[in-house]
Amino acid sequence: MTPVLHGISILTDSPTVVSARAGALEFLLANHALDCPVCDKAGECELQDMVHKYGPHKGRHTEKKFKFHEKDYALSPVIIKNSNRCVQCIKCARVCREVVGVNVLAAIGRGDHQEETSFFKTQLDCDHCGNCIEVCPVGCFMRLPYRYKARPWDLKGADTVCAYCATGCRMVMEHRDGTVLRARAQYGVGVNSETLCARGRFGFDYINSPERLTTPHVNRYGKLEAATWVEAFDYIKESLMGVSGDEFGGIVSPRYTNEEAYLFQKLVRDVFKSANVDSTSRWEASGVEAFAAAAGMNEGGVSVFDCMEADTVVVIGAQISDENPVTDYIIRRISAARKMNVIIVSPRAMKLDSSANLLLRVAPGAEGAVLNAVALSLVPDKTGGYAQTADIAKDMIDALVAKLKASASVAIIAGTEFLRHPESCAGLGFLKDSLKSSGKKVLILPALDRCNQRGVWEMGAHPGFGPGYAGVEKRGKGTHEMLEAAMDGGITSMYAAGVDIVSMFPDAQFAQKALMRLKFLIVQDTFMTETAKMAHVVLPGATFAEKEGFYTNQEGRAQIIRSLLPPPGKAKRDFDVIKAVGEIFDTGFGPKNPALALDEMRKTNPMYRDASLAFNNKRNVDNKLDIKAALVKAADAAPPSVKCAPAAIAPKDDKYQFALMTGNHLFHSGMLSKRSVSLTGLLNSAVVEICPEDAVFYGLKPGAKVIVKGAHYEAVMTLTVRPGSKRGVAFIAENYQDCPVNRFFKKGAGTPQVAIRPCS
Amino acid sequence: MEDGKKGLDIFGLIKSVLFTDFVKGLVITLGYNVSRSITLRYPDTEKWIPYRRWRGMHTLNKDANGRELCVACELCSRACPTQCITVIPMEDATGRGIADRVAKVWKVDLVRCLFCGFCEDACPTTAVRLGREYELACHDLSCTVKEREGLLKPQPVPESFEGGVVVGARFVRTPGGISVVADLSKSRKRAL
Repeated sequence: MTPVLHGISILTDSPTVVSARAGALEFLLANHALDCPVCDKAGECELQDMVHKYGPHKGRHTEKKFKFHEKDYALSPVIIKNSNRCVQCIKCARVCREVVGVNVLAAIGRGDHQEETSFFKTQLDCDHCGNCIEVCPVGCFMRLPYRYKARPWDLKGADTVCAYCATGCRMVMEHRDGTVLRARAQYGVGVNSETLCARGRFGFDYINSPERLTTPHVNRYGKLEAATWVEAFDYIKESLMGVSGDEFGGIVSPRYTNEEAYLFQKLVRDVFKSANVDSTSRWEASGVEAFAAAAGMNEGGVSVFDCMEADTVVVIGAQISDENPVTDYIIRRISAARKMNVIIVSPRAMKLDSSANLLLRVAPGAEGAVLNAVALSLVPDKTGGYAQTADIAKDMIDALVAKLKASASVAIIAGTEFLRHPESCAGLGFLKDSLKSSGKKVLILPALDRCNQRGVWEMGAHPGFGPGYAGVEKRGKGTHEMLEAAMDGGITSMYAAGVDIVSMFPDAQFAQKALMRLKFLIVQDTFMTETAKMAHVVLPGATFAEKEGFYTNQEGRAQIIRSLLPPPGKAKRDFDVIKAVGEIFDTGFGPKNPALALDEMRKTNPMYRDASLAFNNKRNVDNKLDIKAALVKAADAAPPSVKCAPAAIAPKDDKYQFALMTGNHLFHSGMLSKRSVSLTGLLNSAVVEICPEDAVFYGLKPGAKVIVKGAHYEAVMTLTVRPGSKRGVAFIAENYQDCPVNRFFKKGAGTPQVAIRPCS
Repeated sequence: MEDGKKGLDIFGLIKSVLFTDFVKGLVITLGYNVSRSITLRYPDTEKWIPYRRWRGMHTLNKDANGRELCVACELCSRACPTQCITVIPMEDATGRGIADRVAKVWKVDLVRCLFCGFCEDACPTTAVRLGREYELACHDLSCTVKEREGLLKPQPVPESFEGGVVVGARFVRTPGGISVVADLSKSRKRAL
């Protein structure tokens, strides 16, 4: 080994080096199966490129090549393996252990018989993220859904952003003849570099789904029938003519681009003269304001890499390994190198626990109480505060406080539990203030689970604030209040753009009843969702691969998405649909295209005025993933301060042993991912997750069918266990069509309680 | 003649009296009358079979066990200067092809094809070969795109047949179309 010294001159292209390289490549090819015409990697294979460049163009090895196996074998429903092509670089095993943290791949055997695979070559029980595929320089790990579908040169790609969670992973989507075939990440591009999660890498195939809405539908005599755009717009015109402002409400999807969200709130506010605009069917509007204020979202973007520079990273209220897997990779990767404190406060165990040096298991919704207790301990001359957190050991809080006290900078990653339990936001704000007052640098990164949730808020799709958190003249109604008003006739018409209220509102029955009472419901979506089935007019929209625009990720990073395909059939881009609906009532309604919308929005929204949308697609020369120019700047205004009353605590009922938690499953995001064939192949039917101690205690077998019974709903699902989770907590993800978890919820009743018993 | 010598052209006179040029011409005609014919009686009784190097319509080969040699690597369509070849691969582990990768679609648009043979050269498994089928004319465009199923059928002239000969043929007119059926047993060198 030669140590690198100052002034050393290294030749990388001398004849000796080139011939040595060819020699090394010749040995790599000694056992490498030369089945390039069959291999999916051919055309973008690093080994192929190197041999093409440096040779040898003729092999001298005449020995029979060693073969691991004859046929390729599937390692997972999405990963297929051919070890004969392996060059033993072990990148797959390293990315699996060091970045993804599941540690299921390893090198078995020695020498040229070394094979990187799962133990006993069985199917992996892993994250199915496919990062092993991405890092594999040869065609050893391959995508099963992409297998033998195309050659790299057949594919036409577009740089875009993943539309599942709000991590904002950059990726390239590629299609062949209009069928989207794969999504891949690029080394050195975006926050994610070459990593993606299962959702991002395999979950795009809903774009090709034959179930997509391709034509408008109009309700005729109680039945939804296909119609033309003209008929649909005529119907909207005659039904909404004369509807006064307060009787109208609009909800826009947090998966819409910023331009679309901006236009939508303009449509509701300026054309329909209504203040009722919201952007989600899950959170309460006041909770959003409390969260935005506590997390300081109006203060501009916070880079996740800046957070990783902190001495202590607190992950709280976020099921980060499941909801934002790539943020989880970033924390794992950087914490392994920097050895900063990683503190996780959560009811459920998660993959990131192995990187943490302090774990606090709290009851669902107790995050605020923990933060309060911690903040009280940080403020001088105050003691106590532990009384509220009866179920958290005092010594754990003390340990957390000690770690915070010893750090000069603290990063808090606050997740969606704060939006589910908005009363916790006060604790977050309190901790932030007390850390700041003790002279520490504090960064708060909101961890969100919809790709443009932050963006649509900042575009003003919220009843309490306009674009850039600017105040509004009159506070409107959020989704919760809109549905309540619909129940008693205050709201007669609604426009749900891309949201599936029935499947997502935390009280399915109530949402259904409220929507039934509406005189007129417009639903704009890509699929016939449960909400769309109740609509009077269904307008077919586009997926993220079919539109132009930009998303703001959870950090506040503005990133453009590119259109790959035209929308299918008669479907239109959502911007055009919203614009056309506006033009029915006001022919001058605009901006007329996304580029003009961006200009107009930038004029009024100081956060985005200087946020750069350029360079985001370019690969950095120095592989620096953090492009600060893309972060949004501070707003002129702050979200209005609201006090969120603690949710009603349901009286403890001995019939129900578990508190029900929800969130997104690792393989799913909302109801959209249920349309993806690859993702439903990974997990289709509902599972309920508890900790193994509870399973033993209540005599439940993992993998067996159980009946989950709540006060309002019961369903049969499969039981899984997650070691390390808090006892008495059951988790059901919000993604199952066969068991919509929102049916367990009752509006205003707080965290639902459930009982689990074996299915007899 | 203008600046040439003046006088009587005796030879010319004798030539014209004896019809020499006329006789010369008749002799050539007469020679052809008695010589062997070079006209190919195509398509009624004869047909030209080109040499092996001929580049006619594509054919897809199979190996000795009847498995398709094509692994749908798409190199032919990549090499094609006119982009007239479309290949869509699929997985089929039933032994249809020599690998588990086989062509779902392999089609060539003969109207665009240059018959340059780049596809043949690019093919790593010698699956695609430009055969000796040259009767490609038809009344509409429906027959110009040749699909995999048709191309996998062996062409009437086997690879083993040397070519460069005229063989016996029969003109067949059926409701399905017209064809010239060659009889390879009767062959003769083409007179030059």
